[in-house]
Amino acid sequence: MDVLGFYPMWYVPVVGSAIILGIIASIHVLASHTSVGASILLAYLATKAYRENQPQIYDYIKKYLLTLLVFSYVSGSISGPGIWFSATVSNPRGISALIHNFVWVWAAEWIWFVAEVTLVYILYYTLGRIDQRSWLKLAWIFAIVSWATMYIIVGILSFMLSPGHEKWFATGSILDAFYNKNYFPHLLSRTAYMFAIAGIVGLGIASLMKKDLPEKIYKDIVKTLSYWGIGGIVFGLMFFAWYMSTLPERSHIMIEGVVPLYLKVSIMLTILIVLAYFFLTAIRPQAASLWISIPIFILIYFTGVFPEEKIRETIRKPYIAGEFVWVNQIISRDVPAKGIKSEVPVIDEKGLLTVNPFVPEGLKKIDSQNEIMAGKAIAILQCSGCHSVTGSTGLRPFGQKFEGMADPNVVYGFLAGYLRDNPPPYMPKFVGTDEELRALSAYIAHMISNGGSISAKIEVPTTSAEAKKEAQP
Amino acid sequence: MKDMIRWFLLSILSFMLIGGKWAFASDVGAMLKAMTDPAGAPFYPVTMQVLQVLTWMLHMIFVYTSIGGLFFTIYGFTKKEERWQRLAKATLELSKVSVSLAIVVGVAPLLFYQVIYDPLWYTSANLSAWWYILFIVFLLIGYYLIWGAYFTKNKPSMSMLMSALGVLFLLLVGFIIHVVNYQSLYPEKWVEWYTNGGRTMNISGWNIYAFNVFRYLSFLVFPSVAVTGVFLMLYNWYFRSREDMDKDYLDWAGKVGVRAAMYAGIGWLVSHILYIFTIPADWGAKGSIFTWLSVLGLILCAGVVFSSQKNPAKMAIPSLLAGSVALLLIAIFREYLRVASTARFGYSIYDYKLNLEFLSPMLFLGTLLTGLVLYAYAWWMAYQAGKTPKGKVYEASETERHLGDLSVYIVILWAIVFIGVGLIVVVRNYV
Repeated sequence: MDVLGFYPMWYVPVVGSAIILGIIASIHVLASHTSVGASILLAYLATKAYRENQPQIYDYIKKYLLTLLVFSYVSGSISGPGIWFSATVSNPRGISALIHNFVWVWAAEWIWFVAEVTLVYILYYTLGRIDQRSWLKLAWIFAIVSWATMYIIVGILSFMLSPGHEKWFATGSILDAFYNKNYFPHLLSRTAYMFAIAGIVGLGIASLMKKDLPEKIYKDIVKTLSYWGIGGIVFGLMFFAWYMSTLPERSHIMIEGVVPLYLKVSIMLTILIVLAYFFLTAIRPQAASLWISIPIFILIYFTGVFPEEKIRETIRKPYIAGEFVWVNQIISRDVPAKGIKSEVPVIDEKGLLTVNPFVPEGLKKIDSQNEIMAGKAIAILQCSGCHSVTGSTGLRPFGQKFEGMADPNVVYGFLAGYLRDNPPPYMPKFVGTDEELRALSAYIAHMISNGGSISAKIEVPTTSAEAKKEAQP
Repeated sequence: MKDMIRWFLLSILSFMLIGGKWAFASDVGAMLKAMTDPAGAPFYPVTMQVLQVLTWMLHMIFVYTSIGGLFFTIYGFTKKEERWQRLAKATLELSKVSVSLAIVVGVAPLLFYQVIYDPLWYTSANLSAWWYILFIVFLLIGYYLIWGAYFTKNKPSMSMLMSALGVLFLLLVGFIIHVVNYQSLYPEKWVEWYTNGGRTMNISGWNIYAFNVFRYLSFLVFPSVAVTGVFLMLYNWYFRSREDMDKDYLDWAGKVGVRAAMYAGIGWLVSHILYIFTIPADWGAKGSIFTWLSVLGLILCAGVVFSSQKNPAKMAIPSLLAGSVALLLIAIFREYLRVASTARFGYSIYDYKLNLEFLSPMLFLGTLLTGLVLYAYAWWMAYQAGKTPKGKVYEASETERHLGDLSVYIVILWAIVFIGVGLIVVVRNYV
């Protein structure tokens, strides 16, 4: 048996499996940035409460900790593994490449996760039950370990975009992989924005306590949150500019030519709205309101974090990890240091359907009977990471991309010229035999002539000799 | 002559059967080997294996108290007695905290497992992809229901309803992870399952292909009650020394715990043995020492719990130790099953390609040691706070203050080293 290590493919029509991942990842980013930002803010406020002997600040801290427990430590701690789970089913070979390179780094992060989760409970339950100094120490430990989880994950995320240096392919060194070119700007930019996100949540909580807290303390807290929020946005923008300067060439092409304008505009508008709110509450602390904070927080999810995650995913293309695994899970280049070989020559020679163990025997050998289904299988295996391959709506749909191309020869000519011989920088080249490219073209033409939308079901024609053989008991 | 022909045909038939089995095994074996990540393992697979077993055991303790705690809550809220109502609230609190810990501790076993058993996990998860996603969704719903139950704990009927729904979702989550684990043990069936015997490709991700009720009961349901029973014994033991706590109530709770642990323990043992009988013969598991050690562990634990009937508080720590030994033996047995299943196809984690490197294991070790100092300090302070009567403040002793300072300094040092190394590497590579 001559196979490559592909896994069973999961295909989500219209939106694509990557969107499921994106939704979960955005929830996690919002929850985790809130919690990391808040951990430092709360440690700072606790220090203030202790030094200036203002015990009422602890009431605010306790309420914020409960909010963290209910929001960040439920949604955040579930959506964290959720990213991993959804990556496992939407791109198993991509996540596998990361895990096999960074398992110990993730294991180190896990030590801090455990510390973070246990500490948030301990801080909540021991507030007022152990002496203030001891509690303050726990609060600062919580703050540092929370931030440390960000130190770690950012290195892996940056590597996903690019190892940053050709050196890693030769050394395979974990240091070259992890501390890559955009590690620090990425870390600092996230660090800055997290204060703004935590500030928005903090303002909502403070507004609930307007009547319970002495006016001076209320104002102090709101102003502190507002200043930290403004600082977070300003520094965030500065570090973001630095981050942009460290992106690989292909990512710039994507940002300029492929990323839709509305995504960029929505992020900028969100930043402006958040900034305006912080200015308002810095000048007039009484203006802080739960009914402004909640909509802004929701807005941050939909028009800030989600587009940001979408852009981050887009500019990584055509890769999913480390500039050696394509988004369609094919290993596209050698990594000599790790003994990793590109799979492209093998697939070009033997065919994608042949080397995938989860393709039925009846589709491996293409004939006139199974050509359309074989083409659909190729589309799902090779293109569905970024395209809705069975319809006209949703994720960069084939129905729109190939509109009017109902002739297989026309589609073939286009695919051969555009995707096989001269691929754009943001798409993997077509890999597989010429026969497979023709089957893919036949499928696309068939789909277009059916109105651009077709069932995702794959049926091996019963007339196929191989299928008959397989179907025998 | 007839005999000769008969023997000749018989030998040909045997050759076909054995040869077919070999050829098939080598196909599955080649597929498993191809699926291992080409990057290889960055450290000795046995290390991942050991860490996976240990962290799984730890993870399961909290899984059990999450689910078991809710069982007690639901039962407690159905009773009118004040002590049952009180116990229901206490186990709800236990469940709420346990879910958090179960989630966070559960990351580690899956992480180590995916390095050495990637073919098993990724395939099985993708066979039932939507269910794998629903694991997260159901867990989120279940956990919010538990928080809902917690916030309504003074309205028993509402809280009970939320707890009941919460436990249903957690059991569903357990069902999904059980399915993914169980499917992964049958690599010889994956292609057949996914292609419906060669007729299609089940790309929808909605299919569930295998389930074993005895495994589900013995790995999840019965131990949940038994382990939470032992926790109630510990509850009795821990709070007994606090002057503001009602000792009669605590002793009663300890007795409820020990009884529950004993009855559920019997269910655990029976379902465990029944599961063993369903394991296919060609795995050779029924005669394995690991299998019978897991049974022995459960019997030992049942014995200790049985002898704790009279004084649960006194026997709480021995019961905890016996339970931990039993759970460790079950964790080893569970790992052994993977070894036995995959060995049929020549797959061995010990043959996993190695791309050995020492820096990231050192990072892990350094972080672990730093973490242990912090954990020791934080948990010790929590322990002391819990022992302090309500309304009083626990003042740290001088030793505790020093440990606190050390914890702060050591974690700052960790951060400095981490960022410092990064700066050096970046300057060396890019400046």
